[in-house]
Amino acid sequence: MPLENTKQSAAEALRQTRTFGKVRCHNPSCMGRIQPEPGARLVKCPTCGMEYRLYWVSPTLPRIRGPVWDVNREIAEKTFAEKQAVTKPTAGKMKGK
Amino acid sequence: MPLDRKIAHINLTTGDIDVKSIPLNVRKQFIGGRGLDAYLLYNYARKGVDPLGPENPLIISAGLLTATCASATARTHVMAKSPLTGLLGSTNMGGFFAPELAWAGFHHLVITGKADKPVYLFIHNGNIEIRDASGLWGKTTTDTQWAVREELGDDEVKSLVIGPAGENLVRFANVMTGIKNSGGRTGMGCVMGAKNLKAVAARGTLDIKIAHPMDALEYNKRFIDQITSAKVNQTQGTLGTPFIWGATNCWGGLRTRNFQYNQLEYADDIEPERLDEIATETIGPHHMTGCFACQVHCRAQYKIPSGPYAGKYDEGPEYTSLGAFGAEPGCTSAETVLTGNHLVNQFGMDNLETGSMIAWAMELYEEGILTEKHTDGLDLRFGNDAVLLEMVERICYRKGWLGDTLADGGIPAAEKIGKNSFDYLIQVKGMNNLHSDERATPALALNIATASRGSDHLRSRPAIDLYHLPEGVLRKIYGTPIPYDGPLSSEHTSYEGKAWMVFWQENCYMAVDCLGICKYHTTFLGATLPNFEDWPKVIYYNTGLEFTPEELWTVAERCNMIERMYNIREGLSRNDLKKGDTLNHRYFDEPCKRGAPDVIGMCIDREQFEKMLDEFYDYKGLDKNGKPKAATLKRLGLDREPSRLL
Repeated sequence: MPLENTKQSAAEALRQTRTFGKVRCHNPSCMGRIQPEPGARLVKCPTCGMEYRLYWVSPTLPRIRGPVWDVNREIAEKTFAEKQAVTKPTAGKMKGK
Repeated sequence: MPLDRKIAHINLTTGDIDVKSIPLNVRKQFIGGRGLDAYLLYNYARKGVDPLGPENPLIISAGLLTATCASATARTHVMAKSPLTGLLGSTNMGGFFAPELAWAGFHHLVITGKADKPVYLFIHNGNIEIRDASGLWGKTTTDTQWAVREELGDDEVKSLVIGPAGENLVRFANVMTGIKNSGGRTGMGCVMGAKNLKAVAARGTLDIKIAHPMDALEYNKRFIDQITSAKVNQTQGTLGTPFIWGATNCWGGLRTRNFQYNQLEYADDIEPERLDEIATETIGPHHMTGCFACQVHCRAQYKIPSGPYAGKYDEGPEYTSLGAFGAEPGCTSAETVLTGNHLVNQFGMDNLETGSMIAWAMELYEEGILTEKHTDGLDLRFGNDAVLLEMVERICYRKGWLGDTLADGGIPAAEKIGKNSFDYLIQVKGMNNLHSDERATPALALNIATASRGSDHLRSRPAIDLYHLPEGVLRKIYGTPIPYDGPLSSEHTSYEGKAWMVFWQENCYMAVDCLGICKYHTTFLGATLPNFEDWPKVIYYNTGLEFTPEELWTVAERCNMIERMYNIREGLSRNDLKKGDTLNHRYFDEPCKRGAPDVIGMCIDREQFEKMLDEFYDYKGLDKNGKPKAATLKRLGLDREPSRLL
C-alpha cells in the first residue's frame, strides 16, 4: 500500500476546532459566538444586540432559525444611517496589489 | 483490471452504437464524470453547432468512483452545448441512476443524431437498445419512469427522463431521475427533447471490480465519520438545503423580488423548520431520505398540505425552490412553494430558471415594460401566488405570448420584449443567478461571474467565506495541496485573497464532479469535509489508480481549462454581458436595501471587482482577456487539443 494512511488530513484535523452548543451571530460586523440556554427559543447577541429565533437540530446543536425582524431591522437601519453619514457604501476595499 | 470501463457512442439517426474502453492515459488526465465529459464535448462538438441540432453531442456519465465502495458517489453528469446559453451545457444530479448505469456496463454515453420518432434507450448489462417511446411522449417525469419500469417488467430500472417541458423545447428543461433529482441547469432536457429522446433507462447486475476491497471498506468508515460528524451535514439531514436558505435570509443574502431586495421578511411560513413540520405532519417523523450510498439524507419527502394539489406527494423543496417560489416572486406561502416545486418536478423544468424568469417578468410588469396585453390579462405583480403557478404551466406548455417568450430563456426573451428589459435580467452568460444576493460578498460575486456554465454557485463558490473562520483555519484549507501564502481575509465583505479562494474552490468542485461525489461531502458548506488530501486514498483503494493531492489538483485545473477553451471557442469574452465574466449593472449600482448591519447599503465596487478578476485570471494562467496563455496550455497538456483519443 503506497499511501500514508494514519496522518490526519487538514480537513480532519480541523474537527478539533468545532464548538458545540453555540451559534454565530449573523451580523457580519459582529459574528460573535453566542451560547444560548439549552432549549431556548430566543437569544440576544450580547455584543451587538441582534435578536434571533432558535431551532435545535439536536440538544447540542442549535441553529438560528431567523431574526426577530423588527429588532434587527431597526439596528440595521440605524447602523446604515450612521455609516451613510460618513462614507460611500460599497463592499470592503482591497489592500495592496 | 479494476478500470475496464466503457464508453458508448450512440447515433440516434442511424441507430449505430460503438462501444470502446476508456484508455488509462485519458483517465489519468481527465479522471471521469464531468472532466472527461468536458474533454469529449471539446473533441466531438463542432464549433458553432446548433444546440438543438442532431450534431450536438449529449454526454451522460457516472463518476470514477460511482458504484464502488466509496460514499456519496451517486452523481450523474450531463453535458452538451447549452440551448439556454449557447456555451457549455453542464448539469449534475443525485439519485440512483449513475450507479445503475455503471452496473449496466457503461460510465459514459455520447449520444448524437436525432431519432425520427420518440425513443428511449435501455441499457442492460453491456447491451444498448433503442426502443419506441411514442407511448411515453407527453407524460410527466414520474409517470414516464413508472411506465418504463412497467414496460420492461423490472421495478429496479432507473431512468433519466424528460417531462413535457423538454418535449416542448423549453430552453431550461431539466433531466430528471426519481421524484426530484434534477439535472436542472443549462437546459439539458431541451437537448434530449430535440433528439426525440424521452428517457435513458438502465438496469445492471455487472460487477464493478474494487482494487483493494477491504482497505476501501475500512477507509470508507473513516470517510463516513468525517462526513456525518460535520455539523452542517447533521443540519442538512434534519432540514435539507432549506436550512441554507433560512440562514441566508437571516443576514440578507437572498435574492428577492428579482434583485430589488435581499431579504424576504416575515417569511415564517416557508422557513425550513415550518417545512419540516409539514413533512412530519404529512409523511411522518422519518421523512428525510437520501441518494445512493449517502449518509447525509438531505432530501425531505412531503405531501402538499392544501390547495388544488393537496395530497400530492413530492420531495424537497431545495433552497432553489424556496427561492423560485418564495423570495423571487415575493410569495410567503408554504402551499405555493411546495406546489411550485411539485409542478417543476413533474414538468421537468429547472426550478431556479423558472422562478427567476417569472420574477423578472413580474418586475417588468410592475415597471410597465410588460402589460396585460403581453400577459393575456394576468395580473403579474409580485406576491400573486396563483399567477405565479399559472405562469409555471404556461412556460412548460408555451401557452400564450408570455409563456412562449419566457420558455426561450432570458436573453432571447429580452430581445423579444425589447425596451430596457435586459437591464433587469439577473444573469451571467445567459443563465439566471442563484437566488442569492452577492452584493455584500465579493468572493461569491466573482464565483458567479466566472462559473463555466453561467451564473452558478456549484462551480466555485467559497461558501465557507461566510463563516468568518480564523485566518489560520483558512490557511489550512486554502494552502493545501498547493502552498499559498498570499492574502486571505476572514471578512466576507473583503476583496482580499478572494480570487485565490474562488480558484481553489473551482478546482475542488471539479475534482468531486470527476469522481462523482456530492458537493455536500467536500469543502462546500463545511470546513472539515474531505478534499484533495483525502481523495487519493479513496481513489487508490477503490480503483488502484494512484494520484497525489497535487496531481489531482492539476487534473482539476486541466478539466476546468478545457471547459474554458470550449466556452472561448463558442464566443466567451471577458466583458461581454451576454457571454462574459461579468455581472448585471445592478451589482455595482444598486446597494442592498435590507439585511444585517454591514449588508444593508452594500454593493460591489467595480474597480475592486476587476482587480479581483485579474487576480483570478492570473491564478488560472489566463491573459487579461481571459484567454489561456500558451504556456498554461502546455503545462496542462492541452496544447494539442482536440486530440480525439476516445
